[in-house]
Amino acid sequence: MAALAAAALALSACGGSSGDSDSGSGGSAEGKTLTLWHYETGNSAMGTAWAQAMKDFEASHPGVKVKFEEKGFEQIQKTAGMVLNSDEAPDIMEYNKGNATAGLLSKQGLLTDLTEEATKRGWDKLLSPSLQTTAKYDERGIMGSGKWFGVPNYGEYVMVYYNKDMFDKAGVKVPTTFDEFTAALDAFAKKGTTPIAMAGAEYPAQQLFYLLALNKANRAWIDSFELYKGKVDFHGPEFTYAAQTFSDWVKKGYVSKDSAGMKAEDMGVAFIGGKFPIMVSGSWWFGRLQEEIKDFTWGSFLWPGQFAPGSSGNLWVVPEKSKNKDLAYDFIDITMKKEIQNLLGNSGGVPVAADPTAITDAQNKELIENFNRLSTQDGLAFYPDWPAPGYYDVLVAGIQELINGSKKPEEVLDEIAQPYNDNLADIGN
Amino acid sequence: MNADRTFRQPGRWAVLAALVVLAVVMLFPFVIVTLNAFKSPAEYSSGGPLSLPHGFYLDGIVAFWDRVDFGLKLWNSLLISGVVAVAAVVLSVLNAYALGIGRVRGRLWILVLFLVANTLPQEALVYPLYYLSKEVGLYDSKLAVILIFTVIQAAFGTYLLSSVLGQFPRGILEAAEIDGASRRRMLWGIVVPISRPTLSVLLIFFFIWTWNEFFLPMVFLISNDNQTVPVALGVLQGEKMMDATMSSASALLGIIPAVAFFLIFQRTLTRGVTVGAIK
Repeated sequence: MAALAAAALALSACGGSSGDSDSGSGGSAEGKTLTLWHYETGNSAMGTAWAQAMKDFEASHPGVKVKFEEKGFEQIQKTAGMVLNSDEAPDIMEYNKGNATAGLLSKQGLLTDLTEEATKRGWDKLLSPSLQTTAKYDERGIMGSGKWFGVPNYGEYVMVYYNKDMFDKAGVKVPTTFDEFTAALDAFAKKGTTPIAMAGAEYPAQQLFYLLALNKANRAWIDSFELYKGKVDFHGPEFTYAAQTFSDWVKKGYVSKDSAGMKAEDMGVAFIGGKFPIMVSGSWWFGRLQEEIKDFTWGSFLWPGQFAPGSSGNLWVVPEKSKNKDLAYDFIDITMKKEIQNLLGNSGGVPVAADPTAITDAQNKELIENFNRLSTQDGLAFYPDWPAPGYYDVLVAGIQELINGSKKPEEVLDEIAQPYNDNLADIGN
Repeated sequence: MNADRTFRQPGRWAVLAALVVLAVVMLFPFVIVTLNAFKSPAEYSSGGPLSLPHGFYLDGIVAFWDRVDFGLKLWNSLLISGVVAVAAVVLSVLNAYALGIGRVRGRLWILVLFLVANTLPQEALVYPLYYLSKEVGLYDSKLAVILIFTVIQAAFGTYLLSSVLGQFPRGILEAAEIDGASRRRMLWGIVVPISRPTLSVLLIFFFIWTWNEFFLPMVFLISNDNQTVPVALGVLQGEKMMDATMSSASALLGIIPAVAFFLIFQRTLTRGVTVGAIK
């Protein structure tokens, strides 16, 4: 018992003293540390590029050490608000873009306004307007306008991955228009192959649904839906077409009826296993496909249409309680440099400011060129679950009903309209 | 003779069959995790989760160990769970001695209060605890987690031990009192030794429960140097991607210590349970 009491005392003693020394060392000038958190795996494109950025930073800032801590996505999601409100906040961290995440923290005053740095250092020139959407938040914490609270280093978008061997065997060419695309789907379905790998229980189904709506949409509609710049009619041509077509595709066998309960991981594994010729999903799969597909050749092409779900990746944010804001700005600046951006591209990521000629691998090049094409045709349409908190689950449930055929397309549209409009009333639009 | 009877009774076979099924169901997740822990990611993707690994692929386990500095996490978990288990048992004994044997006034209500406190979800506790720990400068320290779990586990321990000690044979205590034993002497000399089996069971449960805790440690242990094993496992769950083979490897690493602890103290556990049953 005595030993225990002693242990407890010792613990409390070191807990107290380490707290003191932390706050003490933050103010002193020499032997500075830049505390940096992110949640990308070490061997991913971002992990690789940022590791190099840390090395470059230490080289250009003698006497400053980078203290990097790899965090879990969930931990950052659930605890960021609490951490940033305490003295344990890091100097710079990766954080999720969006109204419910970066927007909320900016509204609570937990993030540093980066507007001045963005113009001074030219980040606003490097990022295209649709990429800047997720970097800026207004006083309500809604993205699209206002001050800069984050800086994205990479982009992401939804594309069509295809199995070249299966395409060749079926005599199907890579489609360039939407009609050719449906003709290709039809050709596979007639041969008894379900063409599209799908996951109804997670994000892939709502992204396909959104893609279909986007084929009938324009930028004004997207701004209305995502940024509340106008009214959205859920029974308008866009969503009506999406719901009807999705339901037809299930009936025609383009999408399997059994996919309602599938997870994204199941979908990916099925595509990697060569069971489906097509997978419609995001650039976050790219690195894994490159690493794990050994038995067939594969490629990717843009969804036939002007728009596709996509946006900037996650953001670098500087907490308001950061003790080394200037160092944090310097670090962001290094990650935006050509060398780091090119490294990100050569590692299978989608850089936002790379030199396309510096990308060596053919598949990587295709990925990045497609992104640049989409970005220049103003085609990044964000994600369907962004507009309202909890909307992800609403869409999953609605589209599962489309896949099961348990509800008619119009009924599903009513179901997904309700929470959207409730949210509009909540934020006072 | 005994065996003869066993084979003749069909009811026993049914029980045996049910137990075998139950054992298979319980062990199945462990088998899947073990299988996938030794697979390479490419094998997993081409063969799915149920296929047998072709070789003994250890890279997943090694890579995970290095990536999160697993040795340190093990030590953190061990320290936190160990201190909590011992401190919570001590606290429970002291409380239960007062409530179960000492017959404090209003003890029923105190026990009800403990029971209610036990049913509170941890999510409801997070914000108050966060502000308190920030005020006293314990945020992001192991001591905060140790204090919180000592109290949480002791709430349950107090509830359980009070009812156990309520049944404590009065004769022994009265005899000791006549012999002039002080209250303290009676506690450490008589009550604790006699209820030792129950206390050991509590100790083991507190250790394993604390070991497996995820939510509060995730909130309170911010720096990687302070984190526990379950929090470290969370690093692998990405935003959109999961690494199934490395997750399996980490899950295997994460459960081995708890299973080992259980096996080592298994005898104490069964003894404690049977002592209770005979009473």
